[in-house]
Amino acid sequence: MTETPFFFARQDARLFGILHSPEGAAQPLAFVMSHPFGEEKLWSHRVFVSCARALAARGHAVLRFDYCGAGDSSGMSADTSLDSHRADLVAAVGALEQRMPAVQQIGFIGLRLGASVAALLAESNAGQPSLPRLHGAPLVLWDPILDGDAYFQELLRSNLSTQLAVYGKVIDNREVLTARIRAGGSVNVDGYEIGKDLLESCGVSTLLTTESKQHAGPTLVVQIAATEAQKERADLKALAASYPQGTLSRAAEQPFWREIKPFYARASKLQELTLRWLDEVLSAPAAMPLHTAASGTE
Amino acid sequence: MQQTGDVSAVTFSSSDGNTLFGTLHSPARPREDLPVIVLLSPGVKMRVGPGRLYVPLTDALVEMGYRVFRFDFYGLGDSTGELQETLLADVYNNIEVGRYVTDTRSAMQWLRDNVHANKFILGGLCGGAITALLTAEREPEVEGLLSLGMTVTLASNAATPAKYLTRAQLDSRRQGYYRRLLQPKSWWRLLTFQSEYGVIWRSMKRLIVKEKPATQAAPIAATAEQRGNANPLFPPAFFAFLKRGGRALMLFSEKDRLQSEYEEKFAAPFAEQLRPYLSQLHQHVVAEANHVLSFTPWQKEMVAVSRGWLETLHGAKRA
Repeated sequence: MTETPFFFARQDARLFGILHSPEGAAQPLAFVMSHPFGEEKLWSHRVFVSCARALAARGHAVLRFDYCGAGDSSGMSADTSLDSHRADLVAAVGALEQRMPAVQQIGFIGLRLGASVAALLAESNAGQPSLPRLHGAPLVLWDPILDGDAYFQELLRSNLSTQLAVYGKVIDNREVLTARIRAGGSVNVDGYEIGKDLLESCGVSTLLTTESKQHAGPTLVVQIAATEAQKERADLKALAASYPQGTLSRAAEQPFWREIKPFYARASKLQELTLRWLDEVLSAPAAMPLHTAASGTE
Repeated sequence: MQQTGDVSAVTFSSSDGNTLFGTLHSPARPREDLPVIVLLSPGVKMRVGPGRLYVPLTDALVEMGYRVFRFDFYGLGDSTGELQETLLADVYNNIEVGRYVTDTRSAMQWLRDNVHANKFILGGLCGGAITALLTAEREPEVEGLLSLGMTVTLASNAATPAKYLTRAQLDSRRQGYYRRLLQPKSWWRLLTFQSEYGVIWRSMKRLIVKEKPATQAAPIAATAEQRGNANPLFPPAFFAFLKRGGRALMLFSEKDRLQSEYEEKFAAPFAEQLRPYLSQLHQHVVAEANHVLSFTPWQKEMVAVSRGWLETLHGAKRA
């Protein structure tokens, strides 16, 4: 396996990526991994790396990349939005296609907000195909964000916690913070500024709906729960059911995208579950022949 | 934020055989007389630092004409290798005793071989700062430390953090208890044995029992309790670096335990030994800031102070 870091362009943005290329001939199916927002990306980074390596060891090329305003890519988080994330993901698909021209299908694996962005791109592409290699490809959504409003409230809570820790009290409450963003300012969450475009595009309760989907590829929705006993989430179940080939699974893992006591070099159960599901869908007789998908004539 | 100059993605082999990933940031017109600045990863966060703290810092340094190198240590970020620890505190502890000195020296060698670097400033937050110091002890070409929140203690004691709280931390805890006196939840915790009784007692004891003033003559003056989790590698490394003329920016965050730990577990007990070298140190505390300088004004202050310190050292101004 080789791992090649490189920069690629998306208009005037400079995005950073790492291509994991398998030894020998690559499988016709490759993946782009879509990371979560803000500090969740850094905490979950090693889980992404280990999963990418496991996929590459099975012959799949994998591109991990940093969204604009994250990691080594250019830009600031305050200037990002759902549109910019979508454009970054499209550029990442293009970069993978350019570097691995023999690849026939490109699937997504995303976590949290990264999963939602991937799902939205897969869906819009299914309706209006402009990226033929995404057509019918596997889509893996690890703990996707459906209710963006609730998610951003959670982010704002982190700002409030910081205020409480350093000032001993909350100086700017949730309403003040939200108003500041809506007025065109920004609010800092763990070092990342959230601006109006991001809040208004992603901070909506209907970020990822459970309405019937057009994306025809096999789709795995994973509920990440601290214990096996944790109750199945109805929203994720409905999301999985909204895909023609959707499956809901549960993986018992700690919330490794946050600061927790264990060091998470990999999410073994989540990774095994994902790879096992992938083996199943790729070996299923109903699986779409890859040459058909690649031709874009389906 | 506008990235200036050029950036290239880099991989190199460490002397341990791992492939380490990094980025080299070069100004449009690099000043060859300036040292290369290597920013070292803190804790388990990768080479951009928590909240991408190193990104604005890198931009500012590149604007001044410095080449800046950031990379991931083995087992972290994009680099190869695996860490065996299951707890974060154990990872931190192993960083604090020099786990990544070898990787840092490999990075320096790569910079010597590829960009003809012959002088260095090593910097970083927390674990990155202590790694910088422990490397500087072995590498005479390190002329400066850009230390953000230097840690002088060992994190494995995080399992019993209350045992090693500094006086400042105890006072802060006591203020917190006062604030929560009227909260039923706090009383519930107290009455259901969920509170940290040892910490409550020790914070209150400071009001009752008069402490002997700390003698500043020798490290032995610090009580065993105070020095209990002190990193024994820190004082000899720091003094060795200062003795050979090394300069250091020691930047701390006001609301970070690392500042009081530095004062109480190093600066006070070693005050006499430290006195001859004070002119080589530039200490700055960012008011109200937290450990990772998460709010933007704190980051800006850190960048401005770093820039000012470097201007003093090298006269490097914005290009």
